[in-house]
Amino acid sequence: MTEIFSSLYGQTEAQGPSAMGFGPGKPLPPPVPQNPVHMAVPIPHQLVDEGPPLRKPAAMNEPFYLVRELPMETELTGNTNLITHYNLEHAYNKFCGKKVKEKLSNFLPELPGMIDTQGLQDGSSLRSLIEKPPVCNNSFSPLTGTMLTGFRLHTGPLPEQYRLMHIQPPKKKSKHKHRHHRPQDPLPPETPSDSDHKKKKKKKDDDPDRKKKKKDKKKKKNRHSPDHPGTTSSQPSSSSLR
Amino acid sequence: MAEKFDNLEEHLEKFIENIRQLGIIVSDFQPSSQTGLNQKLNLMITGLQDIEKCRQQLNDIHVPLEAFEYIDQGRNPQLYTKECLERALAKNEQVKGKIDTMTKFKSLLISELGKVFPEEMAKYKAIHGDDPPS
Repeated sequence: MTEIFSSLYGQTEAQGPSAMGFGPGKPLPPPVPQNPVHMAVPIPHQLVDEGPPLRKPAAMNEPFYLVRELPMETELTGNTNLITHYNLEHAYNKFCGKKVKEKLSNFLPELPGMIDTQGLQDGSSLRSLIEKPPVCNNSFSPLTGTMLTGFRLHTGPLPEQYRLMHIQPPKKKSKHKHRHHRPQDPLPPETPSDSDHKKKKKKKDDDPDRKKKKKDKKKKKNRHSPDHPGTTSSQPSSSSLR
Repeated sequence: MAEKFDNLEEHLEKFIENIRQLGIIVSDFQPSSQTGLNQKLNLMITGLQDIEKCRQQLNDIHVPLEAFEYIDQGRNPQLYTKECLERALAKNEQVKGKIDTMTKFKSLLISELGKVFPEEMAKYKAIHGDDPPS
């Protein structure tokens, strides 16, 4: 609300800008405290002394002055969802919907070497590349035979501290472990019922086989020792132990 | 648009793979490896030339410096995108809240002024028209 009402400051219609002789561009005199109740708040000079382009000429003869044009409604403001406006819902859901992994090696999994360390430690930071670009020629030319003589190396393995190329972050192992650990992880409250259901199913599935086995054993024992039926009663207990 | 990036990505991958192989050759150097090493060195220069050629196609691509800071710290640069989006949404909501509050204040002020100064407000409405309902 940038509109200022003269009536707020105790000016009646007769005491309006036209009645008081205010013209466009003329400085406003200090308000006359005729009615102390209404004139409690003086007009701040900063608000009154606006530039001529902000004034609405049509409103000069009205009881209010300094009435400005309302802001354009077509202007894009924070009132609209700007993510929807710029079609960024997909990006928002992609990055904010799920947890983004913290390490750089998760973003560049194929990159060899330890890339999760700070670049400043080994002088490989991109910022240093921008701040202090390497002094070199503008073009790359292939190495000639004489130049390549400078790259004749000594035979044998490198010292330990230079073997960084072979060190890989342990991402594959963790993934592998994670897969194995998944069934052992504490399950959400919905899953135990499922697992119970599966167990029950398994038991149900196993029951006919067990029954068949028991029947077969009983038959065999009855065939071999028909005189000792009492032994059959002890067999289910042993089979159940198995 | 995507072809530019695919082209650069392909060249970068080849370059990195060549560097990796160079590292393996150098890590346990044998006299018979010298020819292979020389080839890899020249292949590295060819790779740099190829990457240099890609630069012309990507002049209009601007990368925020803050994203480089994430990479320098060994962090996933996608986190930068995520934080940007979250910040934008939070600011968007904050501004919308302010606009809604000011709109309500405006309508309330006009209605209250209409009660106290009905004639003046009638003239004001004649100039500005009736405000849309908030």
